[in-house]
Amino acid sequence: MTASPRYAEIRTSSPRYWGLLILLTLIAVTGFAAAHHMDVEGHHITGMNNQIVWGLPHVFAIFLIVAASGALNLASLASVFQRAEYKPLARFSAVLSIALLVGGLAILLLDLGRPDRIIVAMTHYNFKSIFAWNIILYSGFIVIVVAYLWLMMERRMHRWSRPAGMLAFAWRLILTTGTGSIFGFLVAREAYDSALLAPMFIVMSFAFGLAVFILLLLLSFRLDRRELHSSQLLRLRKLLGLFCSAVLYFVVVFHLTKLYGSQNHDFERFILVEGGVYTTLFWLFQVGLGGLLPLLLVYAPRLQNSLPSLVLASLLVILGGFAQLYVIIIGGQAFPLNIFPGYIVDSSFADGAINTYSPSLWEFLLGFGGVTCALLIALLVIRILPIMPEKLPSEIG
Amino acid sequence: MSHRLQALPLLTIALLAWLSCAVSAADETSGFGKIAIPQPAKPDNASECVEPVEVMRREHMKFLLHQRDATVLEGKRDSKYSLTGCMDCHNPTQADGEVVRYPDPQHFCADCHRYASVKIDCFECHADRGLARSQQSRLIPKLDTGLVSSQTFRHQLERSGED
Amino acid sequence: MKTELDNIELRPARRRFLQGAAALATTLIVPGVFLYKSGHATDAGTRTPRWGLLIDTNAMSEADVDACVQACQREHGWHSATGSTTDAQWIRKVALSDPQSGHKRFLPMMCQHCENPPCVDVCPTGASFKRADGIVLVNKHTCIGCRYCMMACPYKARSFIHEPLQDQLPVAPRGKGTVESCTLCVHRIDRDGANAVPACAEAVNHGGRKAIVFGDLNDPDSEIVRRLREHGGTKLRADMGLNPALLYQGL
Repeated sequence: MTASPRYAEIRTSSPRYWGLLILLTLIAVTGFAAAHHMDVEGHHITGMNNQIVWGLPHVFAIFLIVAASGALNLASLASVFQRAEYKPLARFSAVLSIALLVGGLAILLLDLGRPDRIIVAMTHYNFKSIFAWNIILYSGFIVIVVAYLWLMMERRMHRWSRPAGMLAFAWRLILTTGTGSIFGFLVAREAYDSALLAPMFIVMSFAFGLAVFILLLLLSFRLDRRELHSSQLLRLRKLLGLFCSAVLYFVVVFHLTKLYGSQNHDFERFILVEGGVYTTLFWLFQVGLGGLLPLLLVYAPRLQNSLPSLVLASLLVILGGFAQLYVIIIGGQAFPLNIFPGYIVDSSFADGAINTYSPSLWEFLLGFGGVTCALLIALLVIRILPIMPEKLPSEIG
Repeated sequence: MSHRLQALPLLTIALLAWLSCAVSAADETSGFGKIAIPQPAKPDNASECVEPVEVMRREHMKFLLHQRDATVLEGKRDSKYSLTGCMDCHNPTQADGEVVRYPDPQHFCADCHRYASVKIDCFECHADRGLARSQQSRLIPKLDTGLVSSQTFRHQLERSGED
Repeated sequence: MKTELDNIELRPARRRFLQGAAALATTLIVPGVFLYKSGHATDAGTRTPRWGLLIDTNAMSEADVDACVQACQREHGWHSATGSTTDAQWIRKVALSDPQSGHKRFLPMMCQHCENPPCVDVCPTGASFKRADGIVLVNKHTCIGCRYCMMACPYKARSFIHEPLQDQLPVAPRGKGTVESCTLCVHRIDRDGANAVPACAEAVNHGGRKAIVFGDLNDPDSEIVRRLREHGGTKLRADMGLNPALLYQGL
């Protein structure tokens, strides 16, 4: 029987740690200031317009929300699937999950045209809208994971951590399905309108969440000089490779299906061949740097114990994830609606034309503000509460 | 003496200080950077408001919030509580003939709301003046009749469509 | 051995009580159900209108469509500078060219006031809603400006207001951070009912030979239904099953 791992707060007082926190706080504050400026001036200062209504902030927000769901994976593996070797990581998994979700939600809410009406959003529900369900799913997720974390940490309540873990696991599958269905339910646009988007978002969450988890785990252990044996990383490495492959599979099936019937040929030609920035993002960043290269780094026999290759693979998965969401969200809006099939269409409202989008500084600031908000929450919580295991030695179970 | 009894004199001083501030703030003639007691503009034709002043002071937001749902959701526009109706009558004139906008202190709603420090966002969307002033500022074609009251508002609107 | 389970069998007295209670409850509720149903049946006499537009593109020149757009702008106080991507556009002129014949036609494009509007389905707060008479509107008191309806609209009918506005017209409240679209001149309809004429229709009256006809699609004697019976009408993106209230002729 393995000994229960011991957990402790991060104790470092090094200038590196505080310097990092200060930098993150500055960026987060700048992000909120940018959001305020957007609220006062209106969205005309951003690159979003009546053709591209969701832009870079939504790419950031959805990445964070999807990663949040996936970051809980390791806790689920421990509690739900009874894999004891992941148990030491379960608390941090839960904390990171909450932090990422809060960061993503912050961006989403601050980008609203009327952010002062958040109370209206929480009291008026149209239950046919997947957005309305998402509001409930996201806030419920935070409550459930906080409860799950507490049940894991409170020794007397430990036997309840498995039911809580199962609830959290089911909830996040529904949540990620809901996030994918935001797009999947849209019949109007050729880029969406697909049942495949919901499960694709679920495997994306596995990959992105794990990549973020690996990076922050390594960072936290490095900051506090805790022991992390490479055999632990081997397990995470294999998982990352598995999830990465799954994402590539869904991407292939999605595009093959759309390519099969001729009705979507124009759209597929746009994304895969003629779309300029979207084509580059798809092939070079999403598939190449974000899919195939991480697989190479993860599975290459000579790199199996190499820490830098794992870090690079995780970074590339994150980069590929952003590219993938950019292609989905913005590429999907750049392609015009097909209202008059067979005709050449022209109007003052960009009918029939490819829409262009160039993100403004404000959107970058808001996006990074949300990311740093998430990182700050995670780094502060692991300092205040005993979340991180004291060490991760060679084998626990 | 116990701690509680020692605090009593301090508490009395604090209470008196607060009371004196409150009293002096209510005095419109004393200086010290106060906002003047509002003098909301009476309508030009000086008829009665739709409800007595005491009722309106307390309940006007309740009427408006209920009416806005009736207008938007059910299309009922003939009510005496319509916001455009308020604006039709309560139209202050500026000395130089300029239109009075919501940020100006003498705007009918702004006057009291600044004093009470209650922020409203109606005029982010709604026209902050009635039909007649909208014509005056050439936002819509001028009619040959003069100012209108809320009862004839819709009749005037119909005629403006023929311009 | 007698166990707990053996005691679960109800005593006769208890069983009779439950049967009587169920019978009493049913007797009380059933008449209410029938009354409710029959109450709805008698409503069939007063029929709710369904407002729609018939747009005859054969009778509309490019100048006519421009006039429609300008009439809507004058009526509601919105403007759209050339080349602006953030200005609102409640109604727009669309030029259709047939690639084979080269024939060019112009038509006005605005909210289609669908019977099954995707924008209403996706709005999280219910601000985007459909009235009983079929007009699809945005309740700007509850709109939070998320723009999901703009993503969902198959006709790109909605616009988002990207800057603070002033000098709005009393009949058309519009403000920063909310979404808007063609209202079918609902302020005119609420006043005049079936005799209403939306601004765009008014602009192309052509001395009585209307290029745009407004009317009640549920009224078999209305002009719009008569003209539809004579020459038919096309729904845009009909395959999506939205059943729009705007029908085009000449496409």
